Amino acid sequence: MINAIEIKNLNKNYQDFQLKDVSFKVPKGSIVGFIGENGAGKTTTIKAILNLVKRDGGTIEMLGMDTLKDEKKIKESVGVVMDGCNFHDNLKTGDISKMLASIYKNWNQKLYQQYLKKFKLPENKIIKEFSRGMKMKLQIAVALSHEPELLILDEATSGLDPIVREEILDVFMEFIQDEEHSILISSHITSDLDKIADYIVFIHQGEILLDQEKENLLSKMGVLKCGEEDFRKLEGDEYIRYRKNQFSFEVLVNDKVAIRKKYPEAVVDGVTIEEIMLFYIRGGK
Amino acid sequence: MKGLILKDLLNLKSTFKMLGVMIFVFAVIYIPQGNGFVFGMIILMFAMMVVTTISYDDLAKWDAYALTMPVTRKEMVLSKYLVMALLNTLGVVLALIVGAVGSVIMGQSFSTEVLVTIGVLYLIAFSFGSLMVPLIYRFGTEKARIMMFLCALIPTGLILLFTQIKIPLPEAANPLIYFFLLLGFTVIMVFVSFFISLRIYSNKEF
Repeated sequence: MINAIEIKNLNKNYQDFQLKDVSFKVPKGSIVGFIGENGAGKTTTIKAILNLVKRDGGTIEMLGMDTLKDEKKIKESVGVVMDGCNFHDNLKTGDISKMLASIYKNWNQKLYQQYLKKFKLPENKIIKEFSRGMKMKLQIAVALSHEPELLILDEATSGLDPIVREEILDVFMEFIQDEEHSILISSHITSDLDKIADYIVFIHQGEILLDQEKENLLSKMGVLKCGEEDFRKLEGDEYIRYRKNQFSFEVLVNDKVAIRKKYPEAVVDGVTIEEIMLFYIRGGK
Repeated sequence: MKGLILKDLLNLKSTFKMLGVMIFVFAVIYIPQGNGFVFGMIILMFAMMVVTTISYDDLAKWDAYALTMPVTRKEMVLSKYLVMALLNTLGVVLALIVGAVGSVIMGQSFSTEVLVTIGVLYLIAFSFGSLMVPLIYRFGTEKARIMMFLCALIPTGLILLFTQIKIPLPEAANPLIYFFLLLGFTVIMVFVSFFISLRIYSNKEF
C-alpha cells in the first residue's frame, strides 16, 4: 500500500452542484491539504470518502481497501474530525470513553487519558460547558485514541485561536512522524497548510484545479508585478492567471526562475497558498 | 452496538433522575385513591424517551459522526429499536414495582385488572415506538411529533364517533382474545417498522 487514500473519478450530482471526476491521492506518510472556497466541494468529497453520501460514480480506496466493500474494517483504522463537536451536551469525557471502548476494537483508554491531560480538558465538566477550542481538542483526542492509521479532518482548525491551532498542528506533525500515518486535512485557513502540508489539492466548483507537492508549488510559482505593457509581452504558457490592479498587473507565473532570467528587470516575488487560491478563483486567464 | 445503546442511556441519565422524582410524587398522590392512571403515565413516559434520544442525536449531529466509526447503518437502526425495547421494559418493571409497593402499603392485593392494563400498555408502547421511529427517520423529529398527535387523534375520534352514532363496538366473549390480537398486531408492527426504518436510513445522506 502506497496511498492511504486513492480517489478515482469520483462523481456526485446534486441539483445545483456536481463533483466532476474528482481524483487525487493521499500518499502514505504525508499530510495532504485539501483547499477550496466554501461550497467548492471539500466536505462533499470527504463525505463521499466516508460513505456518508452515495456517490454516482468512481472508486475510492482507503488503506488499500475498497471503501464500499470493506467499510467497517477501514473505519476501525480511521479517525475523523468534522467541523464542530458531535458529542451530546450532557456527556462527560469519561462517558465518551466508556461508549467508544465498545465501538472501536482498539480503543486505547490510556492514550485517551494522555491526550485529555495534554489538552488540559476537564474530566468533571459536561461538554456543554466546554469552549469551542476545548470541544475541537476533545474531538481530536477521540480521533487519535483508537490508534488510527489515517486522520481525516474537515475544517478542524477553523474558528480556533492561533494558539490552539498551533497546538493542534503540533499534534498532527507528531502523528505523522512514523511515516506510516497519513492525514487529509481540509481547510480554508491556508496558513495552517503552509506550515504542515506536504501536498496541496485545490478544488473549485467541484473540480480539482491543482494537485501538487507543496514545496514544488511554492518554489516554482511566483507573482510577477508589472505594468500592462510588460504583461502583454508575456507568452500564454508563462503565466497561469493575472489580476489587474488600478495601476499594475499581478501575474501568477509557472516558473519564477525562468521569468527572472528572461526579464531581469522584473519584480518576481514568492507566493503563498492563499495567493495561489485567490489567483485561481478571482484572476483572469 | 453496545456502545450506541450505552450512549442513549448515558444521555438519558438526567431524564431518569427527573422521572424518578415525578413518579414518586404521582404514586403518592394517586395510588391511595386506587387510581391506575399512574401506571399508564410511567409506561408512556418511558415510551416517549426513544423519541428524546433521537432528538438528542439530531442536536449533536451525532449520526453523521457515528457513521465515520466502525458502525453500520443497520446497527444504528437496530440499536434504536433495542433502546426502545429496553426503555419500554424498564417502564413496565417500574410500573410493576410501584404497583406492588403501593398495594403492600395500602394492604390490598394486586388486582389482575392492573396487570392486564400494564400488559396492554406495554404492547401499545411498542406500537407507538414502531410508528414513531420510521416517521422520525423520514421527516425529522419536529414534524414527526405533529404527525404523532394526528395519529393519536384519528382513532380516538373514530371511537368517539362510533359511540355517538351508537354503532355497537364488537364485543368478544373472552377479552383475552383482544389481548392476543393486540399482541400479534404489535409483533408484526415492530418487524415491519424496523424494515421500513432500515430502508429509509440506508438511503439517507448526511
